[in-house]
Amino acid sequence: MTATTSRTAFRSMATLAGRILPVHHPVSAFIAVNPLGGFEDRPFARAVADAGSWYGTAGTLPESRFRAAHAAGRITADDVREALNTVLPDLPVRDALLLGGRSVPVIAVLAADLTHAPAPAGRSRRATTRSEVRAPAVAETIDAAMSKWCAAFTGDQPGWPMPGRDRGFYAAWRELAVRDTSLPRAARAGLRSLPETADAAAWSSLSRLDVAADDHLDYLRAHLTRQPGWAAYARWCGERPVGARTGFDLVELLAVRLSYEAVLLDAAGTRGPQPPQPPPAPPAPSARQRAALVAAALGVTAADHELDAVATVLAAVPAERRLLIWQEAYELHYRRALLRDLTTNDPATKDPADPPPDAQVVCCIDVRSEGLRRHLESLGAYETYGFAGFFAVAMRFRDLAGGAPSDLCPALVEPGLRVAEVPAAGAAGPAGRHVRGLGGLARGEDAFHAAKDATVSPFVLAESAGWAAGPLAVIKTALPGTAAALRRRLRRAIAPDAPTELDVNRVVPPAERLLYAHAALTTMGLTRFARLVVLCAHGSSTENNPYQASLDCGACGGHRGGPNARALAAVLNDPAVRDQLAGRGIRIPAETWFAAAEHDTSTDRVRVLDRHQVPASHRGVVARLHADLDRAGAALTAQRCADLPAAPRRPAARRARTHVARRAADWAQVYPEWGLAGNAAFIVGPRRLTAGLDLGRRAFLHSYDATVDPDGAALETILTAPLVVAQWINCQYYFSAVAPQVFGAGTKTVHNAVGGLGVLSGHTGDLRLGLPWQSVAVGNRLVHEPMRLLAVVEAPLARIDAVVDRNPVLQRLFGHDWVALTAREHPGQPWQRWTRESWKAGDPAPVPAAVKE
Amino acid sequence: MDRSDLTRMTKVEVVVTGADAPAVRDLFRDAGATGWTSVSGVSGLGHHGEHQGRLLFNQQATLEMIITVVPDDRVDALLAGLRPLLAATSGVMFVSDTWVSRPGYFT
Repeated sequence: MTATTSRTAFRSMATLAGRILPVHHPVSAFIAVNPLGGFEDRPFARAVADAGSWYGTAGTLPESRFRAAHAAGRITADDVREALNTVLPDLPVRDALLLGGRSVPVIAVLAADLTHAPAPAGRSRRATTRSEVRAPAVAETIDAAMSKWCAAFTGDQPGWPMPGRDRGFYAAWRELAVRDTSLPRAARAGLRSLPETADAAAWSSLSRLDVAADDHLDYLRAHLTRQPGWAAYARWCGERPVGARTGFDLVELLAVRLSYEAVLLDAAGTRGPQPPQPPPAPPAPSARQRAALVAAALGVTAADHELDAVATVLAAVPAERRLLIWQEAYELHYRRALLRDLTTNDPATKDPADPPPDAQVVCCIDVRSEGLRRHLESLGAYETYGFAGFFAVAMRFRDLAGGAPSDLCPALVEPGLRVAEVPAAGAAGPAGRHVRGLGGLARGEDAFHAAKDATVSPFVLAESAGWAAGPLAVIKTALPGTAAALRRRLRRAIAPDAPTELDVNRVVPPAERLLYAHAALTTMGLTRFARLVVLCAHGSSTENNPYQASLDCGACGGHRGGPNARALAAVLNDPAVRDQLAGRGIRIPAETWFAAAEHDTSTDRVRVLDRHQVPASHRGVVARLHADLDRAGAALTAQRCADLPAAPRRPAARRARTHVARRAADWAQVYPEWGLAGNAAFIVGPRRLTAGLDLGRRAFLHSYDATVDPDGAALETILTAPLVVAQWINCQYYFSAVAPQVFGAGTKTVHNAVGGLGVLSGHTGDLRLGLPWQSVAVGNRLVHEPMRLLAVVEAPLARIDAVVDRNPVLQRLFGHDWVALTAREHPGQPWQRWTRESWKAGDPAPVPAAVKE
Repeated sequence: MDRSDLTRMTKVEVVVTGADAPAVRDLFRDAGATGWTSVSGVSGLGHHGEHQGRLLFNQQATLEMIITVVPDDRVDALLAGLRPLLAATSGVMFVSDTWVSRPGYFT
């Protein structure tokens, strides 16, 4: 094998090995992902089983939680019956068995087994490394060393960077690791003789570890899943554009891990040819034992031949399948209630001849917007719409301060546009003062942090600034609201606000502006305009929260979406764009003004942006809408308080406002808001479908008007982009709740941030994946109900079929049960469930109702 | 056709989803390819049905064609990386002889 072939062959294998990993984006720009994205090529049931073998994690809630939900009525007998029919279509669930001489429906037998069979044992890793099996202490040593070196190489320590970082992780580690005196002398000698390149070291180690060629891929996966956090981050680093890479990728990571293992096992004298054996699994109860438990649960004394017959049925339902039945029942309960509400919802139909509303507000599809929209609509003649919060403007944005640009777009696309914030006409002076003030604040903050983080200066800093830092810390802790107000006041004094605008209409070619404006309006079906149309983005204000970005806008790459709303508003206010839109049949009246706003989801305050640009003719309607947004936000805040830990239960609006503002400013608060916890549905259709319903901030709402989308282009855009991002978010929350040890970030109370890239639990260990426990639960009580996403679409079924047929990504999601799809063409028609074969009636045929509650 | 003033090389064309394209480009780079051409949003009819290539906001699911030309002595290394990668995805590869007028650009 030539050196080049060695390099390409190992890179290819490392890439394939990494496919079963999530991609861990730095938490400073948190992007929700499906941790099992690499398993979406297979049905959900098999995916969670396969992933469980690699990671040793559960794929659903434990059976005890399902049983508790059943006992509490969260899962009903009807849910169980329907789930059994859905998950076990081939079992004779409508037949009956003889038990104790009486006829018992098979479905009742299965239901009794669900509630009484011994719960399955937890999963353990089946694919293991040599060191895990032969020398667990060596495996621990490797993990500890990897954590140390990965953090040193990737961490943000400008004052003391790891030497040799420019040559890549393996080369830098190889140079330094030989001096690690915590390793045995023989191991250090082994490290000295390692090959120069990462791929050569990896091949050499695989050979020394006696891994057969056919097992190479699985062996790499066993290593990567041993510490999936660092591996997932290495995957992200390796997939970045070449110019942004840092020398940390899966090839480099694997080379170091494998080298450690070969050298340390050699040094420990435990290297040998015998293959690793998975630890024996505890024996599961036999079907016959379960049959006896079923008979006891049903209160009958059964003969042996009767128990044999029951056992034959139960043998087809192993414990892991039972969990999937529970999962299905858990989801059906929510879904049936939602579809029933949508079916019976009958808001007053709008006549096209009706006068236009006072204002239209376009919010992000984010589940948190549902509450704001609902409360706002109750206050006046307002129409609201849902659209992905990047507002079709995928841009790399640089703000007025001119720092590092941010990519404000979903992770599915590259930011094709370069947009900057610039001083508004005639505002160069104030803008300059603002920038200088921000610079001064930033320098002061940088100096403080540099002194705090360096080696010796913290002692000096404590002496010189401790007298002020101590009282300030007391104020921040005891009076967070006051401290935040003081900071805001200080900031305004040093860097007073200045009117600005975005240069989007100057730097983006007219054809592209037209493309995005047209795409946004037609995709959400907004073709009839009020005098005022507000594009309302969102972001979240919290303190001391490494996961802040997880609360910002997912469609904006984990950033606040205000700039995107400002950009599209500027484009749609441009007369040239309006002329071109008119040529495509979209006529925006001259008196219509597009404004931008931003909803702060931790406080439910809505800020209208670029107010200086609002023409005098529209200031009145903007002021009225702003006042109503404030009232809507207050009502939503009061409602949210019922779910926030340690919040007043039924507060008056004013008290609720004060409480959430204090909460958002509290640097010790681990529950600043609930983010997207509870998300469970993605509804595509006109607002008429959901108007007036309280969906509990659990549904992504994407506006869609099938009548203005005859070729299905808009529907295809919605299903292939916003739905995909929503599914990532849904799966991120799902697996953070059901597999928190591996796919969740653990409790916030012991988090240590590693630069802006992630957190550790404690001072060492694996980089944590997913969301903190406090994003999905309070103590042992889950706040997020882990359910797969239900997509509800109002559109012609043939059009949906055509879109699914030409998009493999949708065939995977719907065909493999990652997302359930339900649709109808018109109001009043029954909901149809998409299956691989055909559309099926939403309500299954009735089955015997002989299941014990 | 007279090709006496041209230099024979190997052309490798790969069609993969946008999600897989960075891995293919990395292999090109590792194999010593000096450049490539990418065409995103390609459409056509193939083993997995019709691809229209018009997804507005999902570049990961859109098909991309990546074309490179390398001297013969770099082909084996390139294929050693591409074969397993493509075997695990829905991507396809076309390898053919080609003749170039400026060989210096490709070595």
